[in-house]
Amino acid sequence: MIVKVLRPVAIALAVLLAWELVGHIPVDGIRVFPPPTAILADYIAEWDLYLAHVGETLRTAAIGFVIGNTIAILAALVFARFPLVENIFHGVNVTLFAVPMIVVGPVLVLILDADMPQIVLAALIIYFPTMAATLVGLRDVDPRLGDLIEVYGGGESAKLRFIRLRSALPSLFAGLKVAASLSVLGAILGEFGSGERWGLGTFLLGSLGQANAPRLWGIGIAAAGLAMSGFGILAWINHRMFGNSVSVTMSARLPDSKGTRGLQLDRRLVLTTIAIALPFLLWGGILELTGLSPIIAPGPLESFHYLFLGPESAMAQSALFKALASTVPVAALGFAAGLAAAFVLAALTVLAPGLSRALMPVALLLQSTPLVAIAPILLLVFGRSLSAAVTMAVIVVFFPAFVLLSQGFALVPRAALEVVEVYGGSRLKRLLIVSIPYSTPYLFAAAKLVAPRALLGVMIAEWLLTGTGLGNLLDFSRAQLDYGLVWSGAAASVIVAVLAYQLISVAERFATR
Amino acid sequence: MSRTPLKLTAADGAGPSGSGSSDVAVDHVSKTFDSAQGKLTALDNVSLKMQRGAFVAIIGPSGCGKSTLLRLIAGLEDATLGAVYVRGDDPKVFRAKGELGIAFQDPALLPWRSVYDNIALPLQVLGRSVKRADADIRELIDLVGLSGHQDSLPGQLSGGMRQRVAIARALVTQPSVLLLDEPFGALDQILRRTMNLELQRIWMQRRTTTMLVTHGIDEAVFLADQVVVMSAKPGRIAEIVDIPFARPRTPELMASPEFHELCDRLAESLFGGKQQ
Repeated sequence: MIVKVLRPVAIALAVLLAWELVGHIPVDGIRVFPPPTAILADYIAEWDLYLAHVGETLRTAAIGFVIGNTIAILAALVFARFPLVENIFHGVNVTLFAVPMIVVGPVLVLILDADMPQIVLAALIIYFPTMAATLVGLRDVDPRLGDLIEVYGGGESAKLRFIRLRSALPSLFAGLKVAASLSVLGAILGEFGSGERWGLGTFLLGSLGQANAPRLWGIGIAAAGLAMSGFGILAWINHRMFGNSVSVTMSARLPDSKGTRGLQLDRRLVLTTIAIALPFLLWGGILELTGLSPIIAPGPLESFHYLFLGPESAMAQSALFKALASTVPVAALGFAAGLAAAFVLAALTVLAPGLSRALMPVALLLQSTPLVAIAPILLLVFGRSLSAAVTMAVIVVFFPAFVLLSQGFALVPRAALEVVEVYGGSRLKRLLIVSIPYSTPYLFAAAKLVAPRALLGVMIAEWLLTGTGLGNLLDFSRAQLDYGLVWSGAAASVIVAVLAYQLISVAERFATR
Repeated sequence: MSRTPLKLTAADGAGPSGSGSSDVAVDHVSKTFDSAQGKLTALDNVSLKMQRGAFVAIIGPSGCGKSTLLRLIAGLEDATLGAVYVRGDDPKVFRAKGELGIAFQDPALLPWRSVYDNIALPLQVLGRSVKRADADIRELIDLVGLSGHQDSLPGQLSGGMRQRVAIARALVTQPSVLLLDEPFGALDQILRRTMNLELQRIWMQRRTTTMLVTHGIDEAVFLADQVVVMSAKPGRIAEIVDIPFARPRTPELMASPEFHELCDRLAESLFGGKQQ
């Protein structure tokens, strides 16, 4: 018992000590890995400053958390009750899942005042994970229980009341857990370019140029700590209420609905068309409601005109094309490298289970860290180079993919492995013949989950560090008051992300047929 | 041995105005499902009549449609052709009165509800007062031998105990028709025998019209007044056999030559049905 408590404490102390020693190595050590004591000293010296920034981010994140989750849960209830509505909103849901949220910030700043952009962004970023988790919970009920209610004359509302609402709770809480840490990321991304005085994002932007290593680490650790304490509180409630049996990663796909399969082809086409058109209609409709000038806030038609027909179209196209040509390959590289590394390492844990036990807690911890917390540390290590952007993408891809794939490998049925073992198959053979084919669906789930993250990671690095690509285009055109380019750039990023998601979905259907 | 289903003619003309003593009337029912391989005929022109207070067991090979037949009577499926009447009503009308009890192979308990609350669930779905039924629920808990467990959660019970909760739940509305879809299928042989004895005891107390779908020939012969043998592909009634043994039937009956003779005859009928 005592050993159980002491061992992690001893390991933590050893790591801190090693870090402290590395931190005192002249020049490079001090420049990149400031000793923990130096970070602590910065916290103590600038306590009020940290507190004010952390407090503001916490406040907007918390408000966004409440709003976003309320909308997500209500949406899930409607989708569960009326599958047709879910079909209609399919395009909106995929868009909100895939959109690199950093592009939403500059756009929100144009149409909303004060702290609203941060709140709305935090709410937007958590909509999908909570909605998807709740919907899975509401839908995945034992059909026998539904039969039971029917036999006593109960309809859909009785099923909802007696079964679905209660059985959705564990899944809902798993979603809330992910949402808690994401809302911090959302609030911070909303602060970029907002001109807000307080908040960790503002603090980070203001400190990037100062070459103050302890400060950059301090901000990164504060952001990670804030996100993780949110995750931790929800995880604790979840554990207390339902045990710890639910998945820890956010779902990358919409839960299976009755879908459009049973419908006639023409009705299916109509539904698909509505689903694709709805995000654009919402874009135009919401702007119409704000009553803003189309110069500041162009809708889809104005943006199309700006990009393809207007006088500035040649310039805008070339800027956008240059940015895409810079961002997409970097994101694709990071995506492929991170996913491959996660797959190989997750497969290796089958051969060496000890490795999984060692790596899993770190991966669980880091996958709930807001991506922006890594940015300042990457700046210290790589400077403002391209490698910083690639590394960012690899890191944000690797950890969630590793967690998901390890779960996939762990779920391979034992009997299937034992069949190979009985015929003298080695671990490697078991891996190749059974485990890898079994976990292919998880590879696709992981790919869908991390593809948007790769794009977001690269864009954050571009905005904060490298000054290239789409991330920079948004930051630059925002500063130049080139509103047309802000909106076109944001729309292009979303379309790229949704296309990537759809591409993986098609590949998935092809591979798992 | 004649394979002509004699009872079939008796069911002809069954309908809403059918004779007052018939509780369940299945009238020339066919049921097809759409599957990836095309249309699948689960039931092909099946007719069956159950008298009030009867205990009917249905046996047959996998895929003979015996569960589908039970689900039709419960209103969980709709017939493609023909009609099903329960006490002269459409099953969906009948069940809304709370006159139907059902238990599945899986106990299908709500894991977050106690034994007591699981048994009370049908009352809540029907919008009846649980408080007024309190004495009945406690009596049912005693009846299925779970006294002292009313506050336990399903996860704390053994498989046999959970199945008994499901039986108690099926009885809580004091149903006039009880449908049992292999309720003891997942239990081991010893427990199954105990549950058979308990079911007989409960049935003799209440004389509820009961349909039991089962894989076990001995279970069917031990419990039922009539055994309906079904054949597969397509699902049809091959034969209906009357079981003459007096009640209460005891475990010793299962060792008697008469019992075995009937079981053998039914087994022969089952295998014959398969070759058709």
